[in-house]
Amino acid sequence: MKEETTIAAPAGSGADIEAAGGMGPLRWLALIVFAGIVAVPLFMTSPFYIHLAVLVCLNVTIASGLLMLSRTGQLSLCQAAFVGVGAYVSVLTGTHFAFPFLLSALLGAAASALVAFLLGAAILRLRGVYFVLITFAFGELFRLAMLQAAPITGGANGIAGIPSASIFGFDFDTRKAFYCLAAAVALASLAFLLALFRTAKGHAIDAAGQNPNLAEATGISVRNTQLFAFTVGSGFAGLTGALLASYVGYISPESFNTSVSIGVVIMLVVGGRNSVLGPLIGSFIMTPLPELFRGAVQSQNIFYGVALILILRFLPQGIAGLRLFRRIEGEQV
Amino acid sequence: MWKKMFMAALMCSAATAAQAQEELNMGAVVTLSGPGAAWGQGMLYAEQMAAEDVNKDGGLEVGGKKYKINVTAYDDKYKANEAVTAANRIVFEDGVKYIIGTTGSAPALAIQPITEKNGVIIMMLAFTDKALSPDKPYSFRPVLTTVETATPMIKWLAQEKGVKRVGGLFVNDESGQQQHEWLSKAYEAAGIPLHATESFERDRVDMVPLITRLMAQNIDAIDLNGISPSTAGLIAKQAREMGFTGLLVRSGGPATEEIVNVAGAETVEGMLVYTQIDPSNEEVAAYAKRYQDTYGKAMNGFSPSFYDGTHMLFQAMQDAGTVTDVDKVRVALENIKDYDGILGTLNWTGKDTYGIDHQIDAPFFVSEVKDGKEVIRAKCTVDSCQ
Amino acid sequence: MNLQFLLGQALTNGLVIGLLYLLMAIGFTLVFGVMRIANFAHGEFYMLGAFVAFITVKWLGLPYIASVLAAFALALVLGWLIEVVVLKPFRGDELNGLIATLGLGMIIQNLALISFGPDPQSMPATVTGVFKMGSIVVPLSRLYVVAFSAAVLALLWFFLMHTRSGRALRAVVEDIEIARAQGIHAHIVYPLGFGLGVALAATAGALMAPVFSVSPFIGATPLFKAFIVVVLGGLGSIPGAALASLLLGLAESLGSTFFDGSTADMMIFVLVILVLVIRPSGLLGRAEN
Repeated sequence: MKEETTIAAPAGSGADIEAAGGMGPLRWLALIVFAGIVAVPLFMTSPFYIHLAVLVCLNVTIASGLLMLSRTGQLSLCQAAFVGVGAYVSVLTGTHFAFPFLLSALLGAAASALVAFLLGAAILRLRGVYFVLITFAFGELFRLAMLQAAPITGGANGIAGIPSASIFGFDFDTRKAFYCLAAAVALASLAFLLALFRTAKGHAIDAAGQNPNLAEATGISVRNTQLFAFTVGSGFAGLTGALLASYVGYISPESFNTSVSIGVVIMLVVGGRNSVLGPLIGSFIMTPLPELFRGAVQSQNIFYGVALILILRFLPQGIAGLRLFRRIEGEQV
Repeated sequence: MWKKMFMAALMCSAATAAQAQEELNMGAVVTLSGPGAAWGQGMLYAEQMAAEDVNKDGGLEVGGKKYKINVTAYDDKYKANEAVTAANRIVFEDGVKYIIGTTGSAPALAIQPITEKNGVIIMMLAFTDKALSPDKPYSFRPVLTTVETATPMIKWLAQEKGVKRVGGLFVNDESGQQQHEWLSKAYEAAGIPLHATESFERDRVDMVPLITRLMAQNIDAIDLNGISPSTAGLIAKQAREMGFTGLLVRSGGPATEEIVNVAGAETVEGMLVYTQIDPSNEEVAAYAKRYQDTYGKAMNGFSPSFYDGTHMLFQAMQDAGTVTDVDKVRVALENIKDYDGILGTLNWTGKDTYGIDHQIDAPFFVSEVKDGKEVIRAKCTVDSCQ
Repeated sequence: MNLQFLLGQALTNGLVIGLLYLLMAIGFTLVFGVMRIANFAHGEFYMLGAFVAFITVKWLGLPYIASVLAAFALALVLGWLIEVVVLKPFRGDELNGLIATLGLGMIIQNLALISFGPDPQSMPATVTGVFKMGSIVVPLSRLYVVAFSAAVLALLWFFLMHTRSGRALRAVVEDIEIARAQGIHAHIVYPLGFGLGVALAATAGALMAPVFSVSPFIGATPLFKAFIVVVLGGLGSIPGAALASLLLGLAESLGSTFFDGSTADMMIFVLVILVLVIRPSGLLGRAEN
């Protein structure tokens, strides 16, 4: 289903779309390879690898949300806090009001979007870096608030025993079943991005990111565009939070701290900040990578730091900026 | 002809394989990076040294076979989500059935759905009372928590030292909130309810405002239970700088050495601390030396508990006569009585508090800090101190 | 008696903490003013400064003042090198520069972790004893910090006002457009701005090391406070940073004396948002677009 949506909306980045409408052989091949990769976890027996695949899907969705904001030329360091808002709201509405999963997950996404909208409305009129600093502070504030509100949120002990997701009577209580759900959401978020960047709104996003002054001159409100991207992107994060909570079965404030947000930024930088493929590639590489270091520890963050700086320096468009991926995305090289 | 020889070779190699050493993979899901690393390392090293003990004699003898123990360790970074991934990997990929860990409470609660469902025994440090319960039959805790140590120690304090107005400082995190709850109960039970309490963020370093608030309420003692060693040291240092002359108390969590390191010996002179280690206990002293020699670090105070815990697990396997039937091992572990560990005589307790006897019962002591060293003032059991 | 004691104590403590924030924030705002980069590695230089002080005093047995000077000098040189080797391509590039400093911070923190281990360590207090004024008690070690910080700030002021490179630096911080028009000595101003900024953070770390403890993780809190200060005071505004640090120090101290620590932290965040809604460029920042 989702693949069809993708086919129906082959899109490139920004202004190149019209020029690159067709489906060349390379893009067909890429699509087949991609569909194959998506299907692989269904045939895997090791729960651990399926678990990793689930995490990849969740990270794709989170990073996709951040991609929108990043393409407007902004950066948020509290993406994890919005994942947290979604997780807490969905779990609390699920347990206190016995809402079905679908409803509470959507409420979680809506709550994240609402919080982002309010925060964004207050601080997006500030110059670039102010916004980043405030989002960083907001991530801390969220953690503090969850700790302080112990009677509701369980404080630092978190909430355990969260039931698995169930939609219309179907329980996603095995790893494989949940993978299907997570993959569907991830594909839907990618499809949404592909579709979005074909619309006027999507063009406005790129215009705001590429040259804000020019965008303002052509009648695009940079602030409103960024507010839109921040709100919708945080909604993505909130939805993922609801999924994550039901999958892991446990949430606590520490799961949504700033280092997780920074992890999402790294994913996006590695994958590519200007391409829909960015979140996909970034999550695909950065989610399993820590497993290489699971036993040997402290050097891994040094490795990430060095990689981050090198990529920023020599590959500022991330891996999606490589010729091969740009051609797949349909940009004329 | 060739076929025959091949078959012979095959049978031959099968026979040697049967005689060759069996291997048993054990695991550790502990914190190895970040601020909690000191505790996680203490747990992992304990497991490794216990494994070394049995490997040295050719392996652990269970049901007529000798098993060489391998230890696979994964870092959970003190985070619940990381712990879940590590647990998925160690349980499903590595097929481990016996895990030392986790270090933190949130990771423990997060991995229990996996370990309990798949029948994997875990031995954790997590202080939360939610980690032990009748519906978690595979979870054990080989260390004493505040719940066990605070009540007898505080009763002793009230009787022997005449302490009346105690101020408590707590970290605003999972163990801190837990400690707050349990300590309040323990002080109630001793007839001297906590006079004032303050909570603060884990990474806070300026304690003066909090101490000011406590001192304004005329407290005569500060309990530093459950605060990380360095922060406890900072509080002691800053409280003395502010001119606080009352008693400093730590009713749980071994940390004297680190506290003395941070605060200086003079500052904490006369501080009363819970300790699990009798300085005259030569076995622990030897263990501490071995720890230092092997890993080049001072022994973490929790480490001996996990050393004993791992050895108890080994004995349970031997009693059960199997390493594969985890259920039998679990029952055998529960049935261990009066185990003679390096920390003394160990038993399982906890039915009254947690509903299941999976909490270690070990002797402990109240010590006074003199010249930066612990001097024992009272011997305690979970019932009382004398 | 209680109220007077609490109030007096909170005010003096707030002043001490405010000065610490000021050293951090001025360095941060200096780096931002010159490079247009919000330096997320700033806290790690605070940590490095603390370790330099720890090593020089405890291992090498040097006097405290020498350790502070050593921290300043080493951080200046290290900052200079890092600017030239790592950050040069990111000059003026707000977002990429910011992300690059995130990476830089990870590298520095984990190098320290490998070298020194995770356990916090303590260095001996420079002085013991307290200063008493009525019921108010101030530990002498903190008065020491106040005196040293004041001296450092005075020297910085002299440097920025009365030396050639200082004036050039200030010109860039205060108005990069005009400075550009007059010509910037890029090969001096950028490394100097970054080096001096992080050296101030290292000085703060060295000053606070005997009062607090030393570990690879101590940089996070001062960094966070520096953010709040510069946002409140206006990015790139040195007088704004001065005002905001003292305000923040006092507000925090009063807040955590009369409420509790966590509540105070949250109230301050809300306060900052309110200030920004009313005055988007911060208390003393200039309106920019």
